[in-house]
Amino acid sequence: MSNSRKTYSFFLYLLCIALSVIILVPFAMMLVNSFKDMRESALFMLTLPKTPILENYVNVLSKSYFWRGLRNSLIITSIATLLVNASAAMAAFVIQRKQGKLGNWLYFALFGGIIIPVSIIPTIQLMMQTGIHNTYLGIIIFYTAINLPFSVFLLTGFMKTVPREIDEAALIEGCSYPKMFLLLIIPLLKTPLVTSTIVTVTNVWNDFQAPFYLISDSKKWPIVISIYNFVSQYYTNWGTVFAFMTMAILPVLIVYAFLQKHIIAGLTSGAVKG
Amino acid sequence: MIQSTQRSRYPNWFLLPTILIFGFLFVIPTLTSFYYSLTDWNINRRVISFIGMDNFRELFADVKFRSTLKNTLTYSFSVTLTRNFLGLFLAVLLNNARLKGRNLFRTVIFLPFVISPIVIGYLFTAIYNPAHGILNQALRTIGLGFLANDWLNDPSIALFSTIMTDVWRTTGFSMVIYIAGLQAIPHDLYESAEIDGANGFWKLTNVTLPLLAPSITINIVLALIGTMKVFVMILVLTNGGPGYATEVMNTYIMSMFSLGLYGMGTAANIILSLLIVIVGLPVLLLLKRREIEL
Repeated sequence: MSNSRKTYSFFLYLLCIALSVIILVPFAMMLVNSFKDMRESALFMLTLPKTPILENYVNVLSKSYFWRGLRNSLIITSIATLLVNASAAMAAFVIQRKQGKLGNWLYFALFGGIIIPVSIIPTIQLMMQTGIHNTYLGIIIFYTAINLPFSVFLLTGFMKTVPREIDEAALIEGCSYPKMFLLLIIPLLKTPLVTSTIVTVTNVWNDFQAPFYLISDSKKWPIVISIYNFVSQYYTNWGTVFAFMTMAILPVLIVYAFLQKHIIAGLTSGAVKG
Repeated sequence: MIQSTQRSRYPNWFLLPTILIFGFLFVIPTLTSFYYSLTDWNINRRVISFIGMDNFRELFADVKFRSTLKNTLTYSFSVTLTRNFLGLFLAVLLNNARLKGRNLFRTVIFLPFVISPIVIGYLFTAIYNPAHGILNQALRTIGLGFLANDWLNDPSIALFSTIMTDVWRTTGFSMVIYIAGLQAIPHDLYESAEIDGANGFWKLTNVTLPLLAPSITINIVLALIGTMKVFVMILVLTNGGPGYATEVMNTYIMSMFSLGLYGMGTAANIILSLLIVIVGLPVLLLLKRREIEL
């Protein structure tokens, strides 16, 4: 390696490390201060705690609404994701294969769903009229509705690469359409279904706006709302707030650490091909 | 013709779950919102009556609403431009095959995007704390203490602070889309350019950027749409304040909702939809025209 190239790559590394530090410092600040008492954590120093305390974590983990928040997020996210994947795969299969009028209209309407923001006040009104406001069912259907457009586009795009000959062979064998879909098509849609799962899980788990408007019963609040309420209550004690937030994002961090390659590819592949 | 009859046999009832769910909780509220926006529907009224365009007239006459519109556009354009410049720069930087550990750097820079924005918002209220926040601490340490500021309470700088927070959170996403775009460019194009004696700048402007056009389109359009819908970040960082210096459409709609002004809030929601279509669509069409198919 020549000298100039060496200096170049030295500065390249320096730059990359500096950028990583800019990203990681806020998280580091959260972590070290979560082990400090009220007075020390209010200084937000990046230094290690004088005497590390676990009190903040004990406090957080003893709160029933922390666990309830996690459980609610898990319930809402998993069911909504299942519904999105199932409905989107069925729709994509027929939209792409049939290319009929109804399918085309649906596809066009879904395009609107990607651009246009939800009308939150009429949504609340409609949910109240039908008795699903403030229920798991209501928010799950809401999340399904707003996450469907992306997944349908992604899966319809992928369906184009699944050869029609597969369908034709199955039909000759006397296979019905539902059976063909379940046994032949679904296994071939594995890749885009993983992407759709990652995108939907991230969207739903992290969303704040929907439960903020659609769920008033504190027993049904997902973890993001628990964070919001916890901080409003404990905003003077940053140590506890940091401990709560650390525990709340821990599941996400663990999943991200293990699946980061798939997550990055998944969250962007739809965008690039869409 | 065999093919077309075969096609028509695919069962339409497969579309039913999507039609029902999307129709019920997206299409119906969207369509009824047009009606509600023309009424005086509010918390004190049993009977709602039709009042034509009064809500819209009243909104545009309101100084606070006009500055909300301006803030939303400023926020959206600033975040979009900044994160795209930075994202493209980082993508070129981290697409360098000689850079060992580039995957680790990518993973780190993308990280904020998977964390709930509410957590990011609270972290930055700590970072921006005027007395002890690490931003002011850092500025004082490196001798730039005169730049230290009350980032979220000074009306002249609060919007800027929220913009920078969102840039910090979402630049990794733009970067990754650009990396995917860069990797789709055939390598031999660079090789033949090198044979013709092209320099780095020529390659950037004549090979990389034109072929990256689809990624630029999707990145800019997604950023514009997403940032105009911003809500929780502003709610947590400034709650629209100080005064209404950082009020954006979705926090404005929330305040209409909590005042019980449902018709007015819905009208504001329609203006947000129109804003996104009016800004997003021309940008999409303009950028699409410039794309080159590989």
